[in-house]
Amino acid sequence: MEADSVPVSGPALRMSVAAAWDKVAAALVSPGCLQEEQGLLDSLVLLGDHGLDQLLGSWLLETLQMCLSSSVVPEFWSGLKQPENELEERDRALVLLAAFRTLLDRLQPSLDGLEQLGIWQEEGRGGLSGLGPRSLKERAVTIIRSLLLFSPDPILQERVLEFYSRTFSVYMSQQGEQEERGNDSPEGRLCQGCEVLTAQCWCQEALEHLQELSHILSKLQLLERVSSESVTSILHKLMEQRMERHCRGEYECSFLVNFQEWLELVLGWLSKVFDSEADADAPTSTPGAAGDQSRGCSSSSSILKQWRCHMQQFFCRIYVNMRIEELFSIITDFPESKAAIEDLKFCLERTNQRQQLITSLKSAFESRLLHPGVHTSDILTVYISAIKALRELDPSMVILQVACQPIRKYLRTREDTVRQIVAGLTGDPEGCTDLASELSRGDPVTLEMQDSDEEGNDPEDWTPDPTDAVPEKLGWKRRSSDIISLLVSIYGSKDIFIDEYRAVLADRLLHQVNYNTAREIRNVELLKLRFGESHMHYCEVMLKDMADSRRINGNIREEEAKLGEQEQPLQFLSAIILSSEFWPPLKEEKLELPPPVSQAMETYTNRYQKLKAMRTLSWKPHLGSVTLDVELEDRVLTNLTVSPIHAAIILHFQEKSSWTLEELSVKLGAPKELVHRKIAMWQQQLGVLREEAGGRYCVVERGSAKEKPERGVMLIDSDEERDSNTTTQSEQREEKLQLFWAYIQAMLTNLDSMTLDRIHSMLRMFVATGPVVTEMDVNELEAFLQRKVREHQLMVSAGVYRLPKSS
Amino acid sequence: MKVKIHQWNGVASWLWVANDENCGICRMPFNGCCPDCKVPGDDCPLVWGQCSHCFHMHCILKWLNSQQVQQQCPMCRQEWKFKE
Repeated sequence: MEADSVPVSGPALRMSVAAAWDKVAAALVSPGCLQEEQGLLDSLVLLGDHGLDQLLGSWLLETLQMCLSSSVVPEFWSGLKQPENELEERDRALVLLAAFRTLLDRLQPSLDGLEQLGIWQEEGRGGLSGLGPRSLKERAVTIIRSLLLFSPDPILQERVLEFYSRTFSVYMSQQGEQEERGNDSPEGRLCQGCEVLTAQCWCQEALEHLQELSHILSKLQLLERVSSESVTSILHKLMEQRMERHCRGEYECSFLVNFQEWLELVLGWLSKVFDSEADADAPTSTPGAAGDQSRGCSSSSSILKQWRCHMQQFFCRIYVNMRIEELFSIITDFPESKAAIEDLKFCLERTNQRQQLITSLKSAFESRLLHPGVHTSDILTVYISAIKALRELDPSMVILQVACQPIRKYLRTREDTVRQIVAGLTGDPEGCTDLASELSRGDPVTLEMQDSDEEGNDPEDWTPDPTDAVPEKLGWKRRSSDIISLLVSIYGSKDIFIDEYRAVLADRLLHQVNYNTAREIRNVELLKLRFGESHMHYCEVMLKDMADSRRINGNIREEEAKLGEQEQPLQFLSAIILSSEFWPPLKEEKLELPPPVSQAMETYTNRYQKLKAMRTLSWKPHLGSVTLDVELEDRVLTNLTVSPIHAAIILHFQEKSSWTLEELSVKLGAPKELVHRKIAMWQQQLGVLREEAGGRYCVVERGSAKEKPERGVMLIDSDEERDSNTTTQSEQREEKLQLFWAYIQAMLTNLDSMTLDRIHSMLRMFVATGPVVTEMDVNELEAFLQRKVREHQLMVSAGVYRLPKSS
Repeated sequence: MKVKIHQWNGVASWLWVANDENCGICRMPFNGCCPDCKVPGDDCPLVWGQCSHCFHMHCILKWLNSQQVQQQCPMCRQEWKFKE
């Protein structure tokens, strides 16, 4: 068919041209039969004269293509599929190898022919010219590849995958990488590598087959096409398995080094897979193939390099993926999970997954932490762990800042956040324990951060913020990593904390029996370092009050001792004397104490007035504590520590053994509900009183033995849901708002009408100079004004507030 | 039944016996202290004039020192004399 396309000049020549073609073709296609050199050369020259030499290459390729599509390819596929499922793994491997072997055998003549032609072309033998061996081979390979793999049967991938997996485990077991799963086979006689009885082990065989297969594939340049996918999926699968087995839930040791070692092993196996014959034959190869060879060599090592990069990248990615999933647990485990954090940091720097990490962590916080079922102190504990962990992970603090935003936002909505933080700071066992130790480290809180210029950071060390930093926080302000600063800044102001601390301190001091303030003094000193002296001034005065009270008590007692035995009504009374301006507002409750006590207090006041000229005392009868004994006919309750109202109740029963609630309430000057609540302790816990018909309470002089309480029991208001002597935050807040209301009214009277922003800025200007600086934001003010509008105390139109005309 | 009190820990706050709540000079509460002081009470006492007006001692002394000619009570302009 080629002859038709050749321009033929004469019938005489046709014969010899045809003969010459046959001769050359025979020399190319079956190099086995030797032609004499001169005849071949003549034929080539003759063909060249007729311009047919150009066609030789095309013809060979055409032949190859024909041969491939008509027989080789179908044979290859059917050979691969031939024995249906009944075979064992070992035999399947053999079939695979055999199929490729036949493939190579069938194609070898054509390839050799092409190579021969290429060499002739290169040598210019008989005036031959053309593409040269390399491009001829490339074309041939392209044809083979495209025809062979035009419609690949999945069975090829399947078999290759199976075979590679096997050789992988064989290789690994030979390299001493013990996989645990082999060990628990009952007989223990299974080969580690090929998982058959050791007697039938074919490990060595498998490796030999692997080498042969690799050589065949590389010869046909099919290696990349056939193997890459399988190798990739094997390695990915194994790496994932390995990670699941070794890393998941395991945060306490670093995995990177271990992985690097494993990766080296894997690369050893990979070098076998991508081992081309050229490498193996390198020393003995013929000089003619030198060009081809050096190419093979370099490509083989560069393939390995690529694979190394690929594996590392892949490891980082799946490691980061897994850790992102687990990050919440890692954070809660933090000091123990440091290794995991460090690994994660290393890997995160190599993958582009920060955003993913932040999003996932945020949602983990939201779903696992920020709901009503979690106690505030637990949220704080996790937040503190998160601060510690994330500042390891990302020293720029951007992740911390962004991911913890929901926590901060949520904590702002919890009522007891401040109290919990303060409790933690002061080492209250119910609070977060870390905070106390954090406090004693004693760095000043850098809320204002005006010191960032003077930190002496080397400009060379400056690094730009990561791209995911929150833009408005960029600039010279450095993100703080200090736990206490971060906690304090949840509300954006120190004052709320200090107010709360004052309230906690007041509670503590008022519950003190013996003026012992050593611990509180230490705490205040530590807080002073953090918040600055001026902020803690009020607390210092409170502590001083305690010391002064002790001295005054001592003085008054001394005075008392000079009097006779009979005139010592004050023996049992001691007092804590407060500087009211410096203490947080205390709960105001009315309580009339029984005459002996109130008389004692009067006497005490008189003594005080003598001691301090022009000063007097205003008692807070409901505050404090009382230690007393109750003697009944058949039992004595000793050393009960109760609140004043409890004491007052029982003292009244001393003079009259039966009281109604109303009578008591009148006598005590306290509301009935309160008395009823308080009486419950005597009634239920101690069994001293009982309720009779008609709502009367009487003393139980003879109690049943079972109700005997232990001696010296401390009873501090167990019936009260919250035994705080200070007013709650919301009450205080309300008071402050009322204070603002006076200002607002005055402003509106003078200026007629004002916008919200104007009112806000005016208030800030005037009220912020008061003793307790309140940070109030516009929203809060707006809510307050809206309330006033609803109560018809204020009018609003077009965003302008004014007072109603009638008022 | 007999109740025996061992110890009664009361709570009281001290206050100046004065006819006003705030110091007429610094406008701070008497029970607090003058702007220059940190601790109220003994450290920042009140003083009364014969006109019966009273001030933080530090405040009135500062005031009197600043008066060139005559020493007057800032409230009633009578001559200031300390009440004994």
